[in-house]
Amino acid sequence: MGRHYLAIEQAYRDGTPTAWATSGTSVEMLYTFDVQPILPENAATISAAQKVSKKYIESAEDLGFSYDLCSYFKTNVGAMQNNAPIDLGGIKPPTFMVAADVICDTHVKWFQVQSQRYKVPLYIIDVPHVTSNTTNKQKEYYQSYVEEQMLELMDWISEITKKEYNEEKSREVITNSYELSEYWIKIFELRKTIPCPVSTKDTFGGLFPLFTMPGLKEPIRVFKKMYQETKERVDNGIGALENEQFRLLFEGIPFWYNLKFFGVLEQWGAIIVFEPYTYSFGKFLDPTMTKDYIINNPIKAMSKIMLSFWYIYDLETRVKEFKRVIKEWKIDGVILHNNLSCRPNSCGMYDLKQRLMEEEGIPSLVIEADMNDPRKMNEEQLKNKLESFMEILQKNKKR
Amino acid sequence: MAYKIGYVDPSFNTPEELMMAANLIPYRIFGDPTIDLMDADKFVPPNHCFWARNCLQRGLNGLDKDIKGIIITHACDCSNREYDIWFYHVPYDFYYFLNAPLKRDKISLKFFINDLKELKFQLEEHFGAEITDKKLYEAINLTNEIRKLLKKISEYRNKGLLLGSEFHAIVKNAYKSDKKDVLHNLKEKLKKLEIKEPLPYVDGSKKRILLTGSILDDTEILIYLESLGFEIVTDDLCIGTRYFHNLIEITGDPIKDIANFHLSKPPYSTEHPSSGRFDFIKTLAEKYQVQGVICLVQKFCEPLLYEYPFFRDSFKKIGMPFIFLEKEYKRDSYKQLSTKLEAFKEILRGVKK
Repeated sequence: MGRHYLAIEQAYRDGTPTAWATSGTSVEMLYTFDVQPILPENAATISAAQKVSKKYIESAEDLGFSYDLCSYFKTNVGAMQNNAPIDLGGIKPPTFMVAADVICDTHVKWFQVQSQRYKVPLYIIDVPHVTSNTTNKQKEYYQSYVEEQMLELMDWISEITKKEYNEEKSREVITNSYELSEYWIKIFELRKTIPCPVSTKDTFGGLFPLFTMPGLKEPIRVFKKMYQETKERVDNGIGALENEQFRLLFEGIPFWYNLKFFGVLEQWGAIIVFEPYTYSFGKFLDPTMTKDYIINNPIKAMSKIMLSFWYIYDLETRVKEFKRVIKEWKIDGVILHNNLSCRPNSCGMYDLKQRLMEEEGIPSLVIEADMNDPRKMNEEQLKNKLESFMEILQKNKKR
Repeated sequence: MAYKIGYVDPSFNTPEELMMAANLIPYRIFGDPTIDLMDADKFVPPNHCFWARNCLQRGLNGLDKDIKGIIITHACDCSNREYDIWFYHVPYDFYYFLNAPLKRDKISLKFFINDLKELKFQLEEHFGAEITDKKLYEAINLTNEIRKLLKKISEYRNKGLLLGSEFHAIVKNAYKSDKKDVLHNLKEKLKKLEIKEPLPYVDGSKKRILLTGSILDDTEILIYLESLGFEIVTDDLCIGTRYFHNLIEITGDPIKDIANFHLSKPPYSTEHPSSGRFDFIKTLAEKYQVQGVICLVQKFCEPLLYEYPFFRDSFKKIGMPFIFLEKEYKRDSYKQLSTKLEAFKEILRGVKK
């Protein structure tokens, strides 16, 4: 990731185009035009990891942004307001911004606010929402709608950067992105092994190149190495946890300011072996997106990714996929993070919990906290909840 | 007896005319701030939009038996995600999620037309009705008539002949009743207003305001504002001006005309770009010479919470007194706003009418 931030600094020094993008937006399109992507969400997680997100969030609240708004957004506003350095999550106004409502409409509001504040041009990709009863016919015109916007975005970027769209470059970028994702998914496949070779510490920490650098060669090499190391651990029967007793699924964005909290699970021999959030950045999860398909249809593929992003699956697909994961990854229990900052993700969580418990007999626990705002996490309360949950898992396992 | 289609729309982008052309009565689902949210809270976390959870609770409690299907229209994250909750827990045979676009350009228009055509197809399939162009234009002519009348009636707020709260109740009724009855009632109302004598201002203490905010569907909140001495002479609300500001232009392609109508309405906070909403409010505020702007926002209404600093600064720049109040969707909580509203009234004391 250091390389990514060096590239950002270099782009500002050279005066080459930079763009802010929301996660879920087609960063591949930016790389196609040699535009340096910057993901404010990623920068916000750095602020949290460096324990300064609270300060920035409060600074944004001083400007009038509500306590109830997205903590990534407020971290970004506060970091800019305080001229935060890059290693504390500070970023600069870009040449232009691209946002999409793939994940949430909040992304659109966020970039509307910031583009207005810093007078930077903004392009919005409107991605229709797939629900539990969306038909295939509807999905077809949804796809055309996103594709048409992608073509318009191409022209828009072309005009700003004074650079023509290059189909060859586009193929190269989408192929790199595909290969990067392929390694990621292969690592997840290895996590099916008992004991699980990779812990959540590695996936939460390793995830960022998938949405900040998809399109470049370098991260592929890193991911390949990560895959080889994981494979070696599997071949040698080495688990990330010495005495693996319980395999867990964690739904939602973690608490970036307190990742070490997950260490508490070790005392019960519990390990998180699957996170839909990190898995979703494997992107090419729609089975129709083969390597041939994406090479021959790069723009279509970029559009398809936005319509098939796991993080925003409709409730029916979400339940179906959770059930599959529980089976394939041999999950003993599910922890669902009701993230106070991410309403789209937390909506449906209660149903998910209920159905997994009733239909699969899987103990599930909803915990409440926030991804970037430490004020909204009560560590002691969470520990108590987890303790009770682990007791249930222990009883369940004995049966 | 005609059946109804209930629709939940945090903005106003639902094509009532399509339902009318299928011989169905479009019935906008409003919240009820007097009910308890016990069941809705089992499905949606309590930090999600109060109003949307309230509408869900109404669905869970059981809606009018004449309602035979539900449409939920995209506007914000609560509409997107709560659709599935409705779909699984409020049993109806007909469900449609209308993906009203965020943007208002040519590409979005084309998409919206496709989505409206699909809705038309599904209504026809499910209810066995043929939605012809002729029927659509009959419906369009009827809603256009209603909008013209509402526009005329709305002006009586400014003449001191109609309370803002009375007008709100009229618009609300237009959203949920058979449109033929609505037309008749509006004509009658207008006749009465035309011969009504202006009410003299007793002491001139009423403060002329423009009311804006997120969805405000409880007339009682307007009555409460009036009880504090505010006179709501105009608004830019969905249950208000946004419903009738524009007419559907007739070009020969009714679905396209309906789509065009919705994408040409005054800008709203759930759309992109949304900054035009301030310009629209400013125009109304100047036209109706209001003394101040009250922005009432439902608790957890994200689109509006993001706009607040921009609104605050923009109104400050033009010297227009402005107050932004977040409120719970519970009638017994309205009184908590009184201190801030009284203080705002004091500020308006020195502002000329």
